[in-house]
Amino acid sequence: MPRLDAEGTDISIELDGQAYPAKAGEPVACSLIAAGEPLFARSVKYHRPRGPYCFAAACSSCLMRVDGVPNVFTCRTAAKQGMRLERQNAFPSARLDMFAATDWVFMKGMNHHELLAGVPVAQDVMAVVARKLAGLGKIPDAPGPAREPALVQHAELVVVGGGVSGLAASQALLERGVDHLVLEREAFSGGRAAYGVPESHAVELPLPSPRVRYGHNVMGLFEDGRGRFLAVLANERLIQLYVKRLLVAVGSHPPLPAFANNDLPGIYAGRAVSRLLRRHRVLPGKRIAVVGEPGEAARLAGLVESFGGEPVAVGTEPVAAHGLNAVSSIEVKRRSGEHEKVACDAVAVCASGSPAFELARQGGARVVFDGTRFIVEADAEGRTAHPGVFVAGEQVGPCSVAESHERGRRVGVAL
Amino acid sequence: MVCSCEDVSADDVTEAIAKGYTDIESVKRYTGFGTGMCQGKQCHATVATLLAREAKSRPEHVLPFTPRPPLNPTELSYWASVPVEPNVPVLGGVPAALGVTPGVHPLKPDVPVPARAQVVIIGAGIMGLALAYNLMRRGVTDVVLLEKGYLCHGASGRNGGGVRMQWGTATNIALARRSIELMKGFARETGINVWLRQGGYLFLAKGHEVAQKLERAAELHNRHGVNTRLLSLEGARDLVPGLSMKGVQLAAFNEEDGVIFPWAFLWGYAAALKKKGVRIETFTRVTGFEQSEGRVKKVLTDRGEIACEVAVLAAGAWSPPIAALAGVSLPNEPHRHEICSSEPLKPFLGPLVSVLDSGLYFSQSMRGEIVGGMGDPSEPPGMELGSTMRFLARYSQGLLEQLPNLSQVKILRQWSGPYDVTPDNSPILGRTPSLPNLLQMSGFVGHGFMMAPAVAERMAEWMCTGQPDELFTRFNLDRFAAGRLEREDMIIG
Repeated sequence: MPRLDAEGTDISIELDGQAYPAKAGEPVACSLIAAGEPLFARSVKYHRPRGPYCFAAACSSCLMRVDGVPNVFTCRTAAKQGMRLERQNAFPSARLDMFAATDWVFMKGMNHHELLAGVPVAQDVMAVVARKLAGLGKIPDAPGPAREPALVQHAELVVVGGGVSGLAASQALLERGVDHLVLEREAFSGGRAAYGVPESHAVELPLPSPRVRYGHNVMGLFEDGRGRFLAVLANERLIQLYVKRLLVAVGSHPPLPAFANNDLPGIYAGRAVSRLLRRHRVLPGKRIAVVGEPGEAARLAGLVESFGGEPVAVGTEPVAAHGLNAVSSIEVKRRSGEHEKVACDAVAVCASGSPAFELARQGGARVVFDGTRFIVEADAEGRTAHPGVFVAGEQVGPCSVAESHERGRRVGVAL
Repeated sequence: MVCSCEDVSADDVTEAIAKGYTDIESVKRYTGFGTGMCQGKQCHATVATLLAREAKSRPEHVLPFTPRPPLNPTELSYWASVPVEPNVPVLGGVPAALGVTPGVHPLKPDVPVPARAQVVIIGAGIMGLALAYNLMRRGVTDVVLLEKGYLCHGASGRNGGGVRMQWGTATNIALARRSIELMKGFARETGINVWLRQGGYLFLAKGHEVAQKLERAAELHNRHGVNTRLLSLEGARDLVPGLSMKGVQLAAFNEEDGVIFPWAFLWGYAAALKKKGVRIETFTRVTGFEQSEGRVKKVLTDRGEIACEVAVLAAGAWSPPIAALAGVSLPNEPHRHEICSSEPLKPFLGPLVSVLDSGLYFSQSMRGEIVGGMGDPSEPPGMELGSTMRFLARYSQGLLEQLPNLSQVKILRQWSGPYDVTPDNSPILGRTPSLPNLLQMSGFVGHGFMMAPAVAERMAEWMCTGQPDELFTRFNLDRFAAGRLEREDMIIG
């Protein structure tokens, strides 16, 4: 059984008209995985099958039409009794999609800039067809709920992100009596320390800070005649939060390393799997290939095993995944250089994160390429090219939870 | 796959690099990676790594594309919930002053520019490229184009792609009409699709005076062979189901207007030019002019000097400071205009809809996004390319007033571009009075994209044959000193 315990309130949701069991309040993507349903949609151009990958609203693979609203991140949407889910971009169904033929016809890729360009009639027919096939979700049938007017608030110092580094900074600030707020998009703090791939040696979890505002999602940094402000979405209301100094501690996005068919449903970011296990207590498959970065893979494999799963191909390099509507096997390269095809129900891809530099960069920090990823340029105390923008944790590059804690603390002290 | 939002594979990236798109902004535009629902969160680093390897770029030359607000897709209803103070000047913008890199561009090539060329065109936006293309068709290929950023960096890469014949003067109607004709044949000529979709332009008028303007314009259009129809509120709703028509008195529609995909136009021209040996020097700045006997002798750049017979200034809103380097004063002023794109939706919107009173416009792109903008009368002039939340608020309020069902549709990305505004809303064309071999080709007030193919065709003919063309005398820079203005009032956005 993919669901590891019976806790929580049982409810029923609907996917394309069919009833599925779920637990109230869990991400609805999680409910479907627990029900053995990794196929969520078809992709935009080649109509390839899609299923959740990152569980961090940092990819588009879990999008569905939810209660009539298109393109909803189901990895961030709490399951409710009677919720109606629809798979998008699939005709007549996601399982048997006619337009998946596009993927076979254009197996070597399709350059739509040049395809049939200037061929009389064919070009016009293609334009009509392309238009019909374009887009993902269908527009809502009715206006959504009315929103309350946006609030205006002010803060001297705002820490964005209640993960390890944000909490460590907050602790240091509290000790020094510096007034601040911590904005955390989740309902819990601790980030990867709480639900990420376990670390090799025990790490002391930072205390939850009393300054954390949970469920506060930062949608943007803007400025006007009064100064800089964050646009924050909380409790279905927008807050214009004017801020003097900003500490960006939003961590990293899970990357998708390039290998053949890396987009098949059933392939997850390593940290998505640890989150499914540790927070939601759902095992996404019995045999899980834990590929990628050997250190993280070994630790995740231990976690999978402790939850009753069977880790395979641990720490190998993924070459190609196989499967029709979901992954059923993966070809990997072992450290010895041999290739091997391994049967599996799911794949966890371990890779160090790509710093989520967008907010810091929008605030004026410099971003540089280190050979594999973009990192925010900052000194040891988190100072960036902009005097009002500081960064901590994974913003300046991959690091362990312990290092993240240390970085956060140092920046907190400096602030 | 490297980008699973837009189905972009590693091979697609490699192909783009092989075609010469070796900076990340260009790879993004050519392949579409990073333009989907995640806005590059998943793929940005992977593509950068591929680029560093395939294009052998040094790490310090691999720059990320500009991350645009919002950070996450956010419903129109939330942006619309922000109160807007109408008469407060619009200040600030994000990303902080990094939209345009000042000084020497890090991606500036190490090799010098060619020492001489018959024609130097400053600006490889749609105007410069279209002109070079038309010169090439007339056999003039000793041409160098100078572009300070990547291809599509300027307003030509930032506009909404609207093309219309519904204008307020006979000249503009004729030019736009010819442009649309040329756009239809573009793919045949260059082998690149520009996805012209003639869904029409639906203009809405709220106020009495604006309604009268629409009536007058429709009459003018009909006289010049453009089949603009005035529509009742019901007629407009038939075209766009769900349109509220709140506060609207009158609508006008021409079915031959439409939208195109702007970037492909630049790629098509550029590819055709490169095939014939025309040089397009990107990441190259003009630093001055060498003049003697009332003529431009050389164009000076941060990659060396180019001796030339003719120089053309086609740098859009960036033209005045360049003209100043030659001692020429242009009256153009840059005005920021903001624009945004929604998440991709299945096709539901045929025409481009514009409320002429407020400048609100929106259309659905070939990829399904709702692309739209709205001018702000409180926007002070100046070269500011950041984005504001005020724009999102005003645009969302305007859009939801007309299409309330979109309230839970999400904004994916916002950006801005400069309108190149002249005192009479008409372009500046022809010889510079004090420097006859410096030709002007700017001042199209945010609507140059749709005019470029036709204007460039006329300009190349005028340059090559020497036959007089009233376009280059009527719209000459000397008209401002002479007080001979050429007013156009069908400006939107």
